[in-house]
Amino acid sequence: MKPLNIVGSRVIRVDGKAKVKGEAIYPQDIYLDGMLYGKTIRSTKVHAMIEVDTKKAETVEGVVKILTYKDVTGENHHGVVFKDHEVFCSKKVRRIGDPIAFVIANSERVAKKAAEMIEIKYKELPAVFNPIDAMKEDSIKIHGDSNIIYHYKCRKGNVNEGFEKSHVIVEREYKTSMVEHAFLQPEAGVSYIDEEGKICVCASTQYPHFDQIEVAEALGLKLENVKIMNPAVGGAFGGREDITLQIHLALATMVTKKPVKVVYTREESFHAHSKRHPIIMKYKTGADKNGKLLSMEVNLIGDTGSYASWAINVMRKAGIHATGPYEIPNVKIDSYAVYTNNPFCGAMRGFGATQTPIGSEQQMDIIANELGIDPIQIRLINGFKVGSETSNGQVLSESVPLKRCIEEVKNRMFKE
Amino acid sequence: MKKRGKGIAATFYGTGYGNGFPDVSKAVAEVDHDGNVNIYVCATEVGQGAKTIIIQMVAEILGLGMNDIHLISEDTSQTLDTGTAAASRQTYNTGNAVKKAVEVLKSKLLEKAKEHLKLPSLLGLEVKDKVIYLKTFPKKRVCFKDLIEEKISVEETFTAQTVQMDEETGQGAPYWPYTFSCYGVEVEVDTETGIIEVIKGVCAQDVGRAINPELIEGQIDGGFSMGLGYGIMEKLNCKDGEIKNNKFSKYLIPTALDMPELEKIIVEDPESSAPFGAKGIGEPVILPAAPAILNAIYDAIGVRFYEIPVTPDKVLSEINREI
Repeated sequence: MKPLNIVGSRVIRVDGKAKVKGEAIYPQDIYLDGMLYGKTIRSTKVHAMIEVDTKKAETVEGVVKILTYKDVTGENHHGVVFKDHEVFCSKKVRRIGDPIAFVIANSERVAKKAAEMIEIKYKELPAVFNPIDAMKEDSIKIHGDSNIIYHYKCRKGNVNEGFEKSHVIVEREYKTSMVEHAFLQPEAGVSYIDEEGKICVCASTQYPHFDQIEVAEALGLKLENVKIMNPAVGGAFGGREDITLQIHLALATMVTKKPVKVVYTREESFHAHSKRHPIIMKYKTGADKNGKLLSMEVNLIGDTGSYASWAINVMRKAGIHATGPYEIPNVKIDSYAVYTNNPFCGAMRGFGATQTPIGSEQQMDIIANELGIDPIQIRLINGFKVGSETSNGQVLSESVPLKRCIEEVKNRMFKE
Repeated sequence: MKKRGKGIAATFYGTGYGNGFPDVSKAVAEVDHDGNVNIYVCATEVGQGAKTIIIQMVAEILGLGMNDIHLISEDTSQTLDTGTAAASRQTYNTGNAVKKAVEVLKSKLLEKAKEHLKLPSLLGLEVKDKVIYLKTFPKKRVCFKDLIEEKISVEETFTAQTVQMDEETGQGAPYWPYTFSCYGVEVEVDTETGIIEVIKGVCAQDVGRAINPELIEGQIDGGFSMGLGYGIMEKLNCKDGEIKNNKFSKYLIPTALDMPELEKIIVEDPESSAPFGAKGIGEPVILPAAPAILNAIYDAIGVRFYEIPVTPDKVLSEINREI
């Protein structure tokens, strides 16, 4: 291979200067002539039937239009895997923060004032917050017939035989928490109709082409009549994968024929986008007296809250990564994704593979401790190398420098 | 009393959508009649450095400077679908698509130059700063502008390899490539206040090959801080479906003052299916931080925490229970 000039060098990031100088344009920096402002009205109840009355709010001077599910011109849904979100809730809310209506007004102040005057009658329904309760057959259901939307199974070797041969068996239960992406820039966006008649949305999103599909479907437009653009994005970490304000904006512009802008407050941002799946993790790990792992049984229950978002993919990734980067001949993993009435969970940096090391890496230290082996040594004994097979039977054929990584840390921090 | 302890964690991460789902990136590379090089992709710049990485790859292949390349991105009306900026896939997937397109573009330019310069072979032809010349006789040269009458445009697609798993056994090859990490941390636990301070971190990160070490180190800083928040600080306090801590005055995330000195080690082991051998690291860099901190807490005070975040109140109640 020829020596490389630019690849491998510390080139200054191309978007850096504009961001440092405050010149980068984020969605909330965009102002268009004759622009209207939007405000979303959200559910304050976790689980309820709703009736919405916008009459009083419509009389506020400066209100142009109040959108509800009745105004959705295409399919009143969206979702990255299942279309289980409604653009605006039609009959039922399933969590605090579900969007119900959208006020369009000639100023932000008027939009806010009118939003407070929208009357929502809630008929509260029983709710479930614990995913273990939600898995029971007699639990109240969030969508459809079952709250269990996914079950990943990994079966390799024979775990019982592996445990029988083990010198030490460690069984523990771990719980990870629901957390927030906390990107610096809360959701914001502007929509307008361009000279070709296309509905254009400028918003911070991780995947413009997928948003284009979701917006077009909800508005009942052809794909080519919708255009999605990203101005500067102030962080994402997975929190900008599901639709938040894109469809509301596009619909508002289609109905009013005017540019419309929305900027979420920090508090609204917390309620608008997904969270990291909290997972209840039961680990049982067996090793021989030299510290060689022989068997592992894992049960993962992931609470996806009120909507599926990426739950299937996240709990699959959690299951695949549950062993940690170690060769284990006998593995049994069950990973579930479950609906509850909690805030909905979706993608967040690591996507299931961030949660499981909270369990698997503590298991390693506990086993090492019980056997009187150094925690670094037990990782080197079991760590993946070229040719290793994962719990899925996948062969790691190249580029597996795990042991080099462990040794680098050992040499710098654990040398006596 | 302040007690110190050290801990370690090792992790792996599989790139891409996974489980047999087609993971596709499309890219267009062109040289127009003025000799401008334009690259069309839709790789969202979420701060990870996608734009910089892509331009670096193009500059490397075509012998250009960073400023010679015009990147058109993040607009559905001008670009093809390059997939989501997620699953740590843009460097690997879109990088591969861009590399393919630019290499085909380059071979077309060389072919044209061969004809233009009336040479019998492509051998020894080099491209640099929008000029194609013969290495052994540099006066044989032509610049892009003089070579191209109509713009040359190349569209290429990269599709990652993935095998759907068996539903009953999970056997298959869900992701590729995998990226590996190992972090060591040192903590200091104040047994009177319960406050845990992370005072040192050593982060060894497999990257395949580093396209831009500066951006990798930035990702490690960010990933570590996010993992630190996950392990010992961040709490939504969700009660009966209601998030109580819905603002930054209540929902505490790490600031620069919470960050320890980090020693960052970039471990290179090029992956043959990756562009220049580079693997995605956006997600891998968060994984070992929190578990390494938990193991260090145990080393410091002899208490194991099975639930995160390990906030000061939990530390105190465990210490008091021990007494």
